[in-house]
Amino acid sequence: MKKILVADDEMSIRLLYSEELKEEGYEVYQAANGREAIDVVDNIPLDLVILDIKMPEMDGIEALRQIKEKRPDLPVVLSTAYGEYKQDFATWASDEYLVKSSDLEDLKAVVKRYLKD
Amino acid sequence: MAGERAAFLTQMVEVLTSTVSFGERLNNMVHLLARNLKVDLALYFGLDKARATLLLNVSSQGPVPPHLRLEFPLGQGLVGETAKTRKSTLVHRQQPGVAAANAALEKLNPAYQTLAAFPVADDNFLYGVLILVDRAERSLTAAERQGVQLTCLMLAAALRQAIVQEEAKKRIAELSVLFEVGKALTSTVELDELLERIVSTTAKVITARGAALHIINAVTGELRVSSRYGQIPTECPALPQIPSCGPATEPPFYAGESSDAIGRTHYCLAVPLTFKGQLTGTLGVYDKFNPNGEYLPFDPENRQLLFTMAGVIVSAIENALTYQQVEDLAEKNERMVRNLTALQEISQVMLTSVQEERLQEIIIQGLTQEQGLGFDRAVVLVVDEAAQTLTGAKGACRNSATRDLPNLKALQVPPEMIPVTDWEIPLRVDQGPLALAVLRKSAYHHHQTPKEPGVPPALAGKYAAQEFFVVPLVVKDRATGVLLVDNQASGRPLEPERLDTLQMFATQAALVLENAHLYSTIETNNRELLLIRERMLESDRLAALSSLASGMAHEIRNPLVSIGGFARRIAKLVEPNSPLRGYVEVIQEEVTRLEKLLREILDFTGENLSYYGDHELAKLIEDTLILVQRDLDANKIKVAREFAQLPRLHCDDRQMKQVFYNLFQNAIQAMPHGGTLSIRTFPVERPDGLYAAASIADTGSGIPMEVLHNIFNPFFSTKDYGTGLGLAIAQRIISRHYGQIEVNNEIGKGVTFIVTLPVAKYCLVKDVGQGAVPASVLRAPKGGR
Repeated sequence: MKKILVADDEMSIRLLYSEELKEEGYEVYQAANGREAIDVVDNIPLDLVILDIKMPEMDGIEALRQIKEKRPDLPVVLSTAYGEYKQDFATWASDEYLVKSSDLEDLKAVVKRYLKD
Repeated sequence: MAGERAAFLTQMVEVLTSTVSFGERLNNMVHLLARNLKVDLALYFGLDKARATLLLNVSSQGPVPPHLRLEFPLGQGLVGETAKTRKSTLVHRQQPGVAAANAALEKLNPAYQTLAAFPVADDNFLYGVLILVDRAERSLTAAERQGVQLTCLMLAAALRQAIVQEEAKKRIAELSVLFEVGKALTSTVELDELLERIVSTTAKVITARGAALHIINAVTGELRVSSRYGQIPTECPALPQIPSCGPATEPPFYAGESSDAIGRTHYCLAVPLTFKGQLTGTLGVYDKFNPNGEYLPFDPENRQLLFTMAGVIVSAIENALTYQQVEDLAEKNERMVRNLTALQEISQVMLTSVQEERLQEIIIQGLTQEQGLGFDRAVVLVVDEAAQTLTGAKGACRNSATRDLPNLKALQVPPEMIPVTDWEIPLRVDQGPLALAVLRKSAYHHHQTPKEPGVPPALAGKYAAQEFFVVPLVVKDRATGVLLVDNQASGRPLEPERLDTLQMFATQAALVLENAHLYSTIETNNRELLLIRERMLESDRLAALSSLASGMAHEIRNPLVSIGGFARRIAKLVEPNSPLRGYVEVIQEEVTRLEKLLREILDFTGENLSYYGDHELAKLIEDTLILVQRDLDANKIKVAREFAQLPRLHCDDRQMKQVFYNLFQNAIQAMPHGGTLSIRTFPVERPDGLYAAASIADTGSGIPMEVLHNIFNPFFSTKDYGTGLGLAIAQRIISRHYGQIEVNNEIGKGVTFIVTLPVAKYCLVKDVGQGAVPASVLRAPKGGR
């Protein structure tokens, strides 16, 4: 079973993503900030990370930098409320940049694309 | 005997003192002598003026007929001998040599035997010789001799008196002429009037029918002045410049005569007028006449008089000429003063405005005002640099309504305008003086001739003048326009000296027009700057709003995503027919609507419209510096600039200014206690082409090492340094322009931001054309716009 980390400081978002992704047949881990996310990455052989950008303690950008240092092969999808920064963050080494939406079809499609094998 | 003698002498004295004319007295004395001495004949020979010949003047036998007017040269015959020796002599015919020497006397008395000769002389002067002739051979007694000698003395006295009298008469006549002349000379200093009086007085004192006077410049031969009076016979030769007739010892003069058609002889006498300096002239008289109207030749006395008069009038004419020159100069000075006063007043009024249009009006008014420069018509034309034409700006005719106003007041009255705005003259040398005045920066005084009409074809039917002035308006060696003036309406000539005044005026006018132009440019620039500042502030506000909206979006979007997401999950679980399904769908739809609204808001605030154009990096920096000048001053921050010449950038100038604005603001906040803001631009050559770089360095405390890596993070903010979003926005903008921003941080020394932007390829090409940068360094990055 493919392992996905959902890192978001909003508990409701973590819950929603987890429910939906579990339904799709993935094993979902959760983290409330960048530091927790790094911990998970360090300990679990993850297949994909969904990363919020604005989080306390360590934000998503720093987490992204560290994750890419540790696991350059690990796909990271940035999921944020800041749609207008898409162009800039795309250059910051994330694999995908998604604007959060209540319709999770886009998110699920992206995850499926990265984890199809 | 003694009584007889006394009676004779008494008679003699009576005759001498009688009031009859001098000639009569002489006759009577000679006659009395002959009778008293009982001699046949008593003769008086007078010595002529040349003192060479003795001429028989008086005979005791009455008037001497012309053929008996005997003459003896001095020293010849008894008469000549006596005159020479001044000794009385008595001879008889028989004595040797007497008959031969005095043969001439036989004409008067063929049979004379005795001749007695007595000199008529006083202490120092011999007047003549008295001769007694008798046919008897006789002698004179001592008493008789004494009587004759006394008579001779009396004769001498009478002669001397006569001579003195005659001389006195002459002197008086001459003096009265001079008095007349003097009266004429002192009566006026007006040259024309003076000359008129001189010629008329000259003619009158010499009793001539006409007189003329000419004065010429001896060097150029140009006639200076001339005056004529009375009748001057046309047959008379033209008055010679320097007459020379008569012996060389005498002053030169000219005496001529000619005959007219009816055979009448005309006479002319002229003498030279000798002035100091280059002038020379002649004074001439024509046809002396007597009371019977007969014309007479001029005698030496007339000549003498004319010479005297010539001498006297020369200085008077010289004075009058000088006076005339002084008067001309004074008049010229007065005109100059009037012109300068007018100019001064016009400039005073010109200083009251900085509006180009109003100034042009004042200029036109000053040119056409009676109290100003007083031209009939004036036009201001300005150079259109872009179109290379000279176009009409303002034109006016003389305004008679303001004639009685003082100049300063009159200048305030709007002139009577004539339409000139459709005047357009190409700036080419073949377009006549108006275009030439601009092209050659020189003034023209144009007289219309069939060959050179002066008015260019472009103004045909719009402007015409026989004569006009055109002067360029020159500022800093650049002609910005011309002033065109004429007196066409009144036909008054344009005096060349007025061109000088007009040029002085044009210098002044050009200056105030240029000032007005600069002033309006500054005003426009100021307005533009204010607008830019406004826009920058607006952009700042927008950035703040954007940041606020972003924050809000984050806060709202997350719960919305949860609500919507879970609603979708609920919908999957709800039975299709359950009433809950409808409720869940409402929640879903509303969330979708809110999300859409959120997206729209973020789209609006997130990305502003772009305005791309070609801009110079240094100019962008300078423009932005103006916006922060106040903050720089408040923190006592000096600005050091070092700008290299670079090709222009293709960029959104507003966004680029935002970049520099943010960088400057950071620098200013880093230097609260003053410092130096160093700005440098320089080219950077990279493998992919040429970049333009700007470094902005402050002398603040630097960025703490632990936060340095975060400074471009849009969510990073520290109250100690910068505004947080500033650098993130700057970076976004720069990356959108395919550029980079780097930071060099030195703790305690300051921060340097280096912005590197690619030079657009086509900007390179364009700027090469303008020669801005050497071609060797021009290589645009491959990815450049």
